[in-house]
Amino acid sequence: MSALWWLSPVLLPLLAAGVALVSGRARAWLPAVAPLPALLLAVTGPPGEPPELSWLLIGLELDLDGIGRPLLLMSALVWAAAGAAARRLCATDRGFAALFLVTMAGNLGVLIAGDLITLYASFAVMTYAAYGLVVHERSPFAVRAGRVYMVLAVLGEVALLAGVMLTVGIADSTAFEDIAGALAVTDGGRAIGGLLVVGFGIKAGLVPLHLWLPLAHPAAPVAASAVLSAAMIKAGLLGWLRLLPLQEAWSGWGQTLLVLGLTGALLGIVVGLTQRDPKVLLAYSSISQMGLLITLVGVGLAASDASGPTGLAAAGYAVHHGLAKAALFLGVGVYTSGALAAAHRMYLGATALVGLSLAAAPLTGGWVAKQTLKGTVETLYVGPGLAGLSVALTATGAGTTLLIGRLLRLLREPPELPEGRPKPVRVATGSGEEPTPADGDTPAFLGTPRLLPRLAERPLVGSWSLLTAAALVGGWGLHRFGGDAIATPEIEVASLWDGLWPVSLGLLLLAGVAWRRHHFGLDPPPGRGEIPAGDVLLLVVAAGHRLRVMARRVEPVAARTFETLRDTREVAEHRIRPGPGLDRVEELITRWRSAGILLALVGAALIVALALGR
Amino acid sequence: MSGGAALVVLLLATSLVTAAVTFVLPEHREAVRNAVNVGGALLKVLLTSLLVFGVFTGAEFEWRVAFLPGADLVLRADPIPLLFVFLSALLWLTTTVYAIGYRAGDGRSSRFFGFFGLCASMAVGIALAGNLVTFLIFYELLTVATYPLVVHGGGQRARLGGRTYVAYATAGGAALLFGTAWLQHLVGSTEFGDPATVTAVATEQPLAMTAVFLVLITGLAVKAVLVPLHGWLPKAMVAPAPVSALLHAVAVVKAGVYGIVRVVHDLYGMALVDELGALTPLAVVATVTIVYGSLRALTRDDLKGRLAYSTVSQLSYIVLGVSVFGLTSTTGGLVHLVHQGIMKVTLFYGAGILDRQLGVTRASQMDGVGRRLPLTMAAFTVAALGMIGFPPTVGFVSKYYLGMGAVEAGQPWVVAVLAISGALNASYFLPLIARAWFRPAGEPADAEVVAEEGDNRVGMTTATSDDAVPPGPAPTRGRWETDRWLLLPTLSTGASVLALGVLAGAPGSPLTWAAFIAEELMQP
Repeated sequence: MSALWWLSPVLLPLLAAGVALVSGRARAWLPAVAPLPALLLAVTGPPGEPPELSWLLIGLELDLDGIGRPLLLMSALVWAAAGAAARRLCATDRGFAALFLVTMAGNLGVLIAGDLITLYASFAVMTYAAYGLVVHERSPFAVRAGRVYMVLAVLGEVALLAGVMLTVGIADSTAFEDIAGALAVTDGGRAIGGLLVVGFGIKAGLVPLHLWLPLAHPAAPVAASAVLSAAMIKAGLLGWLRLLPLQEAWSGWGQTLLVLGLTGALLGIVVGLTQRDPKVLLAYSSISQMGLLITLVGVGLAASDASGPTGLAAAGYAVHHGLAKAALFLGVGVYTSGALAAAHRMYLGATALVGLSLAAAPLTGGWVAKQTLKGTVETLYVGPGLAGLSVALTATGAGTTLLIGRLLRLLREPPELPEGRPKPVRVATGSGEEPTPADGDTPAFLGTPRLLPRLAERPLVGSWSLLTAAALVGGWGLHRFGGDAIATPEIEVASLWDGLWPVSLGLLLLAGVAWRRHHFGLDPPPGRGEIPAGDVLLLVVAAGHRLRVMARRVEPVAARTFETLRDTREVAEHRIRPGPGLDRVEELITRWRSAGILLALVGAALIVALALGR
Repeated sequence: MSGGAALVVLLLATSLVTAAVTFVLPEHREAVRNAVNVGGALLKVLLTSLLVFGVFTGAEFEWRVAFLPGADLVLRADPIPLLFVFLSALLWLTTTVYAIGYRAGDGRSSRFFGFFGLCASMAVGIALAGNLVTFLIFYELLTVATYPLVVHGGGQRARLGGRTYVAYATAGGAALLFGTAWLQHLVGSTEFGDPATVTAVATEQPLAMTAVFLVLITGLAVKAVLVPLHGWLPKAMVAPAPVSALLHAVAVVKAGVYGIVRVVHDLYGMALVDELGALTPLAVVATVTIVYGSLRALTRDDLKGRLAYSTVSQLSYIVLGVSVFGLTSTTGGLVHLVHQGIMKVTLFYGAGILDRQLGVTRASQMDGVGRRLPLTMAAFTVAALGMIGFPPTVGFVSKYYLGMGAVEAGQPWVVAVLAISGALNASYFLPLIARAWFRPAGEPADAEVVAEEGDNRVGMTTATSDDAVPPGPAPTRGRWETDRWLLLPTLSTGASVLALGVLAGAPGSPLTWAAFIAEELMQP
């Protein structure tokens, strides 16, 4: 019984996926209900010792510790809310419902995994199943996003699998502590660690492996965007926390992650500010926020004996970001659905509040999370320039404030109502939610029909409100699951000021921009100054193109080589044509002659045998 | 004849009798023929279960008659043979059912199922052979028995494909015959399971024994499709889908790999092969084959050709497991013997249904087929993911053990090979899956893609432009998406790809079985 209870976060979504395939009626509400046992498990804590399940997989082990538990709580909540928001979508599309549930099972499995194989298996299931969520819309944008997603996903899986085999090989165990320990003391440990950094880093949006993220997260329907950007993005982080040797000083990878993390934090803000699609902007905000978490992991990795505080601080920050980001993504869905068009100001206010929390304005949940993160970095950091690092971390709050300001500006006009004007914003990817024209949905006794959303949108609006509230207060205490290893920040002048100045700076800048716009009307024309989603991706594609062009010019020989390369690339893009070079080789060795040569060899061997014979 | 010997002979005879009865049945006695064949296959599964049960309770199963001076005909149920016999009995049952649904006979069903049964018998003989001489006899007979199946469709392309097959198989057989004779001459016996004697001779004549080993492996490599001796397999793809399924999963190509496993483990012993310095070259050949097969598969648009090259690549995982010294990697190699069979059979079943039901034979025609054949494509998807090594399918279990074993043996480069091949496998299987499920069903067969140069090559594609027997009508659908006889085997093997992976650690799973065998083999 206890084993079933332990397994319920994975088992129930999988069962639900099966049911969703056959039952049309259950399909609508299953995605919202399936993560509830996981939620309960996270709230009540581990029910006794983890069960022995050596007959499952290659010996399945489960664990729910101070890092996994808050993440499970957040993820289950986000999945449940997203499941409710995706109600109509799931009801009409059984494939989406099933894949949504399988992805959920994988994601929750990562959080309760107690050994490397279980972690890897869950991670892989989550990664591949999520492809279906990304390409759901089938628009050209989604198809392209799906392709980029898949290429990166396969790369990540391959790096991870190699890393998994090598780590288990050297550690001779699948337990996390053994692996982290073995990585720390083995010669090739750092190289293997690199495979894990890359494998999990792709999911976590580590720069420069983030290029799929601003495409894939916005391409999915809002509910799926929410789980992608809030819950699943944390799975990569957890992989690092579980496996990298945080207790030892690994300065090489530590500093690399530190630099890449800060780069990501900055890049997410700068590129995000140029976006016109609110979902792409939010995806870039996720890259920025993950950058801070990656910085923390980098600092922890460079320091010795840092596994406890790093993990707990990271979990706390991840929880808050997850809740806030899910609320914001669902908020975009609420906006496009037009459900709160009548109460647009209230909607904008709530979004602004969540945004402020994300920017770590004083006394919000985000402030608690960020103060904890910053405190931990300051304690653990070894090396020069601590003051600069500290200021940089704090200053990202200003950037986030700007991002939120930009988001609010994109959403400022009330959305299109069923028979209203054309949409003021370009939401390139849509939300998957068809606004229903039924206006008389709301019974009169429920209050003013203008303020209450129409019946069909209520799950979406409800889950959005729930997550908004959770994001605002959730930071307080959620990260304390691990006990007293790290302290909640004190409410004092210094810490409050730490939260206040970046936000004030951001608001000041926003006010400046608004003033400028008001007086000079300097809004750039649409399409100008926008960095296309996927930023670095363009460079990669352009470089590939450039290389091919150059190769054609250089020499016929080189050109032929690149022809083969191009063919391989085209295969990856489903336009399969045989590579001429390989064909020639094949023809050479598969002619009838091979058989004849074999016979001749046998004859030769016969002669050798006679010569050697006794 | 003791009870143990009787069981072994009975096992061989089941399919033989089935075949004999089928040959004499008139063509129109369909019901009787089906009943006889399915009944025979079921009986065989039952007998095999008895055999497995018996061996695990400590009984001995051996049948021996004098044949040549110094070389008896021996059939013996050792642990490795058991694994293979069990696999082949089960897959034979599913494939028989599938072949009935596929109407593979096309008006020549008695001939078809007759040779089908003959192959089954020969495979049992190969599996249970207790010495190299017995193995060789059944190995050659298998070539003879499969030829009519390969060319069953008739037509120029089939005949040419068949001719290529026979040419390769005969050359390989000749090499094997020669190696066997040489070994008999040097050692005086070719019994499996007695590496001590061979080792004693090898310490005296290491050079000659190495040469014998190389000749034996070369002979076996033809059927095991090690590069560069793999040329016949893609050409033999003209065979009907059930035959291809069988060829790739348990019969011909598997026989070659199985032979390599037995020569390394039961004849020479792994320690000796290692000492002779032959393990590393074998590992290198396997590596080349893995990567080369995947690369070729990537360039093939015709589904069966792609699957054929995938087989080339996948079989070498087994050889790789055999050629890396150590307990874990041996386990990985042995377990992949089973796992690859289940996965590949499922893929071919799926490809066959696609062909029969929708006329889809090319990867580029697979857009949206998931909507039309959801259950078939679900099984196909699971098997394809298994081939990539995706957890928690059986493919992952194999791959994991191979990789771990390599690290244990101090050969981490194997992990790189597995990683590369995993990426390549993903890039030729995932597009199929993505097309099937996430693309709108389109007009199949667009003209540009059909203009593949493989078309004007002999026996490469499944097109029926020559004088081949035209395929029968598409199977009746009934309640299901396709004929139940086609769907049931596909679903059951597809489900086991998943179930055996999820329950890999459970007692009685192929993994625990393989681990048990590997431990026995590793004991000095």
